[in-house]
Amino acid sequence: MEPQLAPASESTPADAAASPDQLRALHQDYDYSNFYSGMGSDPFDMLAPFDEWWSWARPAGYYLFGQPMLSAPTTRVDIRETKNGTRAEGLVNLASYNYLGLSYRPEVIEASIEATRKFGLGASGSPILSGYLSLHEELVDKLARFKAKKGVLLFPTGYAANLGIISGLMRPGDLVVADQFAHASIVDGIILSKAKARFFRHNSAEDLDRKLSGFSGKKLVVVEGVYSMDGDLANLPEIFEVSRRHGARIMIDEAHSGFLFGENGRGVAEHFGLDGEIDVHMGTFSKSLGGMGGFVAGSAELINYLRGFARPRVFSCALAPGIVAGLIRALEIVVAEPELRQKLHENVDFMQKLLRNAGVDVGESASQVIPVLIRDDRRIFSIVEELMRGGVYLNPIRYPAVGKHRSRVRLSISAAHSEAQLEEAAGVIIRVLRRNGLCQ
Amino acid sequence: MSVTRYHFAHAVNAFFEMPSGVAGKLLPGHLQPLELRHDSAIFAVTAFDFTDSLVGAYQELVLAVIVPPMVKAGGVFPKSAFFPFLLGTSTEASRKHAIARWHLPHHMADIDLDFDVSKDGVQILVHESDKPILDMQISVHDWTIVDQLYQCFMIDADKRYKVDIHMQGRFTEHEEESGSLKLHPHAMTANLSPERIATYPFREMWMRDGLQTFEELESI
Repeated sequence: MEPQLAPASESTPADAAASPDQLRALHQDYDYSNFYSGMGSDPFDMLAPFDEWWSWARPAGYYLFGQPMLSAPTTRVDIRETKNGTRAEGLVNLASYNYLGLSYRPEVIEASIEATRKFGLGASGSPILSGYLSLHEELVDKLARFKAKKGVLLFPTGYAANLGIISGLMRPGDLVVADQFAHASIVDGIILSKAKARFFRHNSAEDLDRKLSGFSGKKLVVVEGVYSMDGDLANLPEIFEVSRRHGARIMIDEAHSGFLFGENGRGVAEHFGLDGEIDVHMGTFSKSLGGMGGFVAGSAELINYLRGFARPRVFSCALAPGIVAGLIRALEIVVAEPELRQKLHENVDFMQKLLRNAGVDVGESASQVIPVLIRDDRRIFSIVEELMRGGVYLNPIRYPAVGKHRSRVRLSISAAHSEAQLEEAAGVIIRVLRRNGLCQ
Repeated sequence: MSVTRYHFAHAVNAFFEMPSGVAGKLLPGHLQPLELRHDSAIFAVTAFDFTDSLVGAYQELVLAVIVPPMVKAGGVFPKSAFFPFLLGTSTEASRKHAIARWHLPHHMADIDLDFDVSKDGVQILVHESDKPILDMQISVHDWTIVDQLYQCFMIDADKRYKVDIHMQGRFTEHEEESGSLKLHPHAMTANLSPERIATYPFREMWMRDGLQTFEELESI
């Protein structure tokens, strides 16, 4: 049913002062993108308008981002609801990246405590100076063996890894072509490198071919193994073929696929049988290993070069000893317990079936990242509030993190979830969507 | 304050990615392109079907680059700001009016816009006699009634102008990337590097049965 427009008023728009209701309506139409850029003479010009909007926007739904978690990010969590100061207890947690449940494994925690006792809180130096501890060396060696690569370089975060790899390799006048859904760290790496940037239509080898055409200099193609907002896999075989045909190097960001996909858990590159063909393998420790940090794996020459030129690593303190020791133990568990990956994929299949069978729109997801597409920027916050009241912890995702009216809640499935927990959560999601007319 | 009103049946608007370098060449020195992402500016195509105005009914094609708006605390934020670098209209009277009153640059021959409207979307074919200019197609999301503010920037020799434009009507928008654009070789598309412009919109917008109100022209 299309709404009917009231007859146009004879008063001019400028005649009427905005009433509180009109202001509320205006604020509802605003989002972060309105405050990103505006002409003026003072860098602080945006601060007051942003504050004005935020004082409305936060209680209207933005408070749902970054509410304090009062427990470890296990499969059930307690959250302090900042809107009313209450404590929501025992929510099924579908919001954390803890894909293998390793962040709270007792042996991981013990390893971290022991290393902190021995080495102290921080590394107290850049990894190129005094910050490279024997623990870092051990993690590098074990990770290189796991990835079956000649070399590995550690970074303080996944963001820093992408920044360091791309800006370490590419220069002004070079070309980086990335999938349009590439993570912000990939985009920022391109900006830092000052190379030319082109973005190809998501997973389209045909558009990649178009974007690579007519450029004769150094070229790097960047894709992600699993896309973090949609949970679909890179169309790697076709993208690889096109990249090679154009003489481009190819880099894969396995932040959401490393330690999960492929026979040995090396990632989506291994899943497609292209592990030995991809030039640059990037990964993170904050998702499947439940810690923090990032890394690049590749040839000895690549690692040797980036060691000198990846500035975000050179000019940051090395990863903390407690984190590194926990990561070593977590990696050992990944190697020793391949059944963890198996359990994760079973959980993913189970949850995907529950949702799809109920008519829930989960897009093209083929992984543990499952978007539940709401496609309504106006209702996404109230739907997440309903989900929390129903006992499920999820974060809203809306424009500009995704396209306008491509809003969603994003489920992160873990191997640690029980089927009963997934059934409980799916039941709540389906009930809330039905109440809102979003599934049968 | 005197305002100028234009009633329309359709205002169909879509945003396409274009290289920032190409966009920069279409802008005067005091304006910068707003970037969707690094090195990627926004090319806006708008097709109007005006039903009533000071110069009667006519159709109009607006080719523009999206730029940052001028903002101030306590004011209403524009939905977007744009610099129209070329317009085409279906009547001489509408061209003369827009050039004289708003300093808008025009293709100086009559063009026609065919609106093929369906429940799911609209297709627009723009042509000058039998010479095609562009084909654009968009689809719909939910309809809602809106009153939106836009900022339009213009130049005339060394003079710079801005006008606030209010758009009221039934409105739908989304970013499902389901539309399309084909630019044909024509004088109106000659400066665009069509091979560098996306063939699908990242944002699709359509306003129906609405009112466009121009406030007074401001020198800036």
